[in-house]
Amino acid sequence: METLHNLAFGFEHALTLSNLMYCALGCSVGTLIGMLPGLGPLSTISLLLPLTYSIPTGGAIIMLAGIYYGAQYGDSVSAITMKIPHASSIVACIDGYQMTLKGQTGLALFTAGVSSFIGGTVAIVVLSTLAVPLGEVGFLFGPADYCALMLLGFFCVSFVSSGSLLNGLAMAMVGVLLGSVGTDVNSGMPRYTMDVPALSDGIGLISIALGCFGIAEVMKNLDNKNVLTPFNGVIKLMPTWPEFKRIIPSALRGSVVGSILGIMPGGGPTMAQFAAYAVDKKFSKYKAEIGSGVIEGVAGQAAADEAAARTSFIPLMAIGIPENAVMALMMAAFIVKGIQPGPNMIASHPDLFWGLVASMWVGNCFLLIINVPMVKYWLSIFKIPYTVLFPAILFFCCIGTYSINNNLQDIYTTCVFGFIGYIFLRLDMEAAPLLLGFILGPMLEENFRRAMLLSRGSFSVFATRPISATLLSAIAALTIWQLVSFLRKLKKAPNHVISESLSLQDSLVQGLSNAPQSAEKLH
Amino acid sequence: MNMANRNFVRGLLLMAIALLFGGIALTYPLGQLSRAGPGLVPLIVSCLLFFVGAISVVRSHFVAPVPLDYNLKNMFLVLLGLAGFALISEHINMLLGIVFLVFCSTLAGTSYSVIRNVKISAGLIAVAFAFKYLLGLQLPLY
Repeated sequence: METLHNLAFGFEHALTLSNLMYCALGCSVGTLIGMLPGLGPLSTISLLLPLTYSIPTGGAIIMLAGIYYGAQYGDSVSAITMKIPHASSIVACIDGYQMTLKGQTGLALFTAGVSSFIGGTVAIVVLSTLAVPLGEVGFLFGPADYCALMLLGFFCVSFVSSGSLLNGLAMAMVGVLLGSVGTDVNSGMPRYTMDVPALSDGIGLISIALGCFGIAEVMKNLDNKNVLTPFNGVIKLMPTWPEFKRIIPSALRGSVVGSILGIMPGGGPTMAQFAAYAVDKKFSKYKAEIGSGVIEGVAGQAAADEAAARTSFIPLMAIGIPENAVMALMMAAFIVKGIQPGPNMIASHPDLFWGLVASMWVGNCFLLIINVPMVKYWLSIFKIPYTVLFPAILFFCCIGTYSINNNLQDIYTTCVFGFIGYIFLRLDMEAAPLLLGFILGPMLEENFRRAMLLSRGSFSVFATRPISATLLSAIAALTIWQLVSFLRKLKKAPNHVISESLSLQDSLVQGLSNAPQSAEKLH
Repeated sequence: MNMANRNFVRGLLLMAIALLFGGIALTYPLGQLSRAGPGLVPLIVSCLLFFVGAISVVRSHFVAPVPLDYNLKNMFLVLLGLAGFALISEHINMLLGIVFLVFCSTLAGTSYSVIRNVKISAGLIAVAFAFKYLLGLQLPLY
């Protein structure tokens, strides 16, 4: 009952004219930019984050959330029609692209749109019932527990985003080191600033985000050849009734899987899609056909995608620890606006929290309206050749960097990170754990120092507190599993040389898909 | 010891980053575990990173080499375009900066057309004016 009351309170805030406008704007701009080849939710949010600085807090957060799930949806559209996803919608490539090849683009997009709506709605129910009790759990967390939770987050994100625990962890550590640039909070001593005054406040988040996700991606995409879509422009959106009936069970399964996986550390849309797809392959009535371009292959993963995108807000807002890189960016946005996400947030800013929850449902409706009937017009964006697009992306990166401090010098920092990001990309080092490490690094250090101070320098505090002991044992299990699976592969491989280090996502796609053509490398 | 092997280079790069940050961290007061100084946490993280880098180097011997491919020309052109944009915007004005950014960075594309570049520049200049007068961004346009 109280939840309903709170939701009604949230709708009062979400349905004001200005917030409705921010939500609609966020959804449409997010979808638009998310559709552009090579720009996923992370790059979209980094590009648009500076634009929200001048907007009032509630509106800015509603708009950013809209950008996030809009980009998530836009990304799946480009995956379905062109098979060029950003990490966030790889699964949509399998069945979605097969449907496009069969000439069923419209049906695939309709399925994705409706399933996203169902997934989003289920997730909002989960979000509104679980966030408050979880927030109370947040109060039980001491500094050692926070440290352990952040470490588990690093491990899980490293594993999910790059497939190799080792590479991902290394990037998270580089991120933590970059995060330590600037003035040390405890002693006031400048660290790694090289006597450059601009560095005493630390490296700008936007410079790193735009450098590694905007500019580096442009340089990488320029190295690839242009991809053309087999989508022929003819679109038949509305499904027949039997087709529509096939969407529902799959979407509901996906919503549940997505909602649960969205809350887990390191979870979020990517993991949720794979899990939902696997569940569909096991339990769907049409499981034999999945992989060859059927509705179930699109519906389940699309629902899980949107559900997880929304429930991943729970750990951020209830405990104050973002569980993936997108949420870390969101946290940065909250902090810029003067709000510290965490157990106190729901109590001290109920209007923001419930307004955001309600706006997610409003955003859901917007997405359905702007995407399902109007998807034809959106698709014309694919007609823009990359040679026209990329100077514009570079320009927006420059404006985004400049507008934070109205300082042209910041563009040079972004250039440096564009260069570093390109090298990382070429060395197959994923930048998402780096961003998470960069944002969580200072928090990790502070909590570590506090835990050590309280325990008088003894590491035993991490083992004696039940929460941190549990989280750390999860880390140990993950590490041992990785080590054992590497040694096993090594034993099996001829001449003790493992042929190709496939990423987790690629190998999952290979494992899940039974259509040989979709098993080829996706990037 | 192949510098063209991506896995091997990655390990080396990580070790270099660890040495850089760890070496500088040693110059800061370290304190004790119970009262950590500013250098302690970066030092611990650098040591772990060095360890991870070393494992990557060792691991690269057991994994078939993956060639390292990169395109220096594209990277250089894009970075030159961006740096030139910042420099020209600072010393002359942003409108010229936009034109430079477009004409320089499109050299990295698959095809080059002056007319198309003029159109892109005009479009971006229009967007810049919209940013300045509609969104109120302080752009030094002219």
